Amino acid sequence: MTIVRRTAVVLALPVLLVVAWWFASAGSTDFYRPPLSRILAVFPETWLGARLRDDVLPSVVRLLLGYGAALVLGIALGVLIGANRTVRALLEPVLEFLRAIPPPVLVPIIALVAGIGDLTKVIVIVSGCVWPILLNTVEGVRAVDDVLDDTCRSYGIRGVTRLRHLVLRAASPQIVTGARQALSIGIILMVISEMFAANSGLGFAVVQFQRGFAIPEMWSGVLLLGLLGVVLSLLFRLAEARILRWYHGIRAVSRES
Amino acid sequence: MLEVSGLRKVYDGHGRRVEAIAELTFTVADGELACVVGPSGCGKTTLLKCIAGLLPPTAGEVRVDGVPVTGPPPGLAVVFQEYGRSLFPWLRVRDNVDLPLRAAGQRRAHRDRAVAEALDAVGLADAQHAYPWQLSGGMQQRVAIARAIAYGPTVLLMDEPFAAVDAQTRADLEDLLRAVWQRLGVTLLFVTHDIDESVYLGQRVIVLSGSPTRIAEDVAIDLPATRDQLTTRGDPRFAELRGQIYAQIQKAKSRSEG
Repeated sequence: MTIVRRTAVVLALPVLLVVAWWFASAGSTDFYRPPLSRILAVFPETWLGARLRDDVLPSVVRLLLGYGAALVLGIALGVLIGANRTVRALLEPVLEFLRAIPPPVLVPIIALVAGIGDLTKVIVIVSGCVWPILLNTVEGVRAVDDVLDDTCRSYGIRGVTRLRHLVLRAASPQIVTGARQALSIGIILMVISEMFAANSGLGFAVVQFQRGFAIPEMWSGVLLLGLLGVVLSLLFRLAEARILRWYHGIRAVSRES
Repeated sequence: MLEVSGLRKVYDGHGRRVEAIAELTFTVADGELACVVGPSGCGKTTLLKCIAGLLPPTAGEVRVDGVPVTGPPPGLAVVFQEYGRSLFPWLRVRDNVDLPLRAAGQRRAHRDRAVAEALDAVGLADAQHAYPWQLSGGMQQRVAIARAIAYGPTVLLMDEPFAAVDAQTRADLEDLLRAVWQRLGVTLLFVTHDIDESVYLGQRVIVLSGSPTRIAEDVAIDLPATRDQLTTRGDPRFAELRGQIYAQIQKAKSRSEG
């Protein structure tokens, strides 16, 4: 398939939906459901001014910090737990319990301890993002191929070299799966943590607009959040294509034969 | 030199006790090429893993160059049957060969030369930037052989390395292996279930009995040192040796079944 055709296929449905929204809402006089044309009209002045620095940037920075910390923490703990049967048996019940707690519930509790600043929001994001990464890493590390493991042992590949070239690489398809799930959880938690106690951020701004009956602006915030999600998932795909090049390559080869 | 003395391996688990190897004693001299054949399920892989230090024996001892094996010995390399699972799919051919040398802390210049020579020896100099899964099965096994050569072992173990490739590729790989062995002078223990292959490759064939495994016979292969797929396999002596080993294995099978 050519690039032009593929782009057309990818964009077909979004364009259709936007067009449908545009015409369906065109004559709307409903205060809460303004026409799309009005939402788009307020979009630039709402988000491209001071808010870009005061709300959008802090949100994105918190998300990236929390997501990054969750990646480091989840992979490190996952390798530790996955590689050691005793640690796994010891921690598994606790992990299942902790994982079952919906992170938004933690927002008031974490706010009590860590205040209402950026730290709380980052902690909330970490506390939600870490689980899919951790659990998938554990599975990935457990499933390292026996033959490859024997190969490493007989060639004296151990320690950090083994971790880098065997364990992390072999587990990388699962780690990436966990990281993908974590990314969408992260965006959700970013918004939720800003709705509780905050004075900046995308979630904070959307709630402000709603309370001030600035309805088109509120909708434009929702639109921006959606776009942010799209951009982040595109970036994620680029990273994945690089990291899992070998994995997708093998799958393509085995599909052909 | 490779010495196996009184080796015994019993698997104990899930209330079932399986005696894989009853008792094995043999020596492979420096630079010798010995093949091990036996009926399927006779513990060939178990034997190889014990020698490689990947599996602790229940009793007995393995010595590589006089040193008792307690873990994977540094002067020993293994080529596994499952080439698809023993090469790192995320590393290019060159890096697959290079990784054990890197792990051993060898210098860059030395590694580059060893890797290039090893890939050249197996005829894969052109494929060094490919990923293993982009190559055919025979070529992947060549990469595994190159990795073993580059490691510079004194003892090389091979576990049915050509069992999963097609017949023509297999003949090529057999000749390649003979050439490499003659050039390097490495001690080579080659495990196979294929009687023809063992006679064609070996200076000596160790025939195993069925499980629990013992040595059924130790056959010296008195064929000329220069072997050739056509003339060697057409040699009356080849047929005679093959027949002798075949009869031995049939006997071992019927004994273990009866």
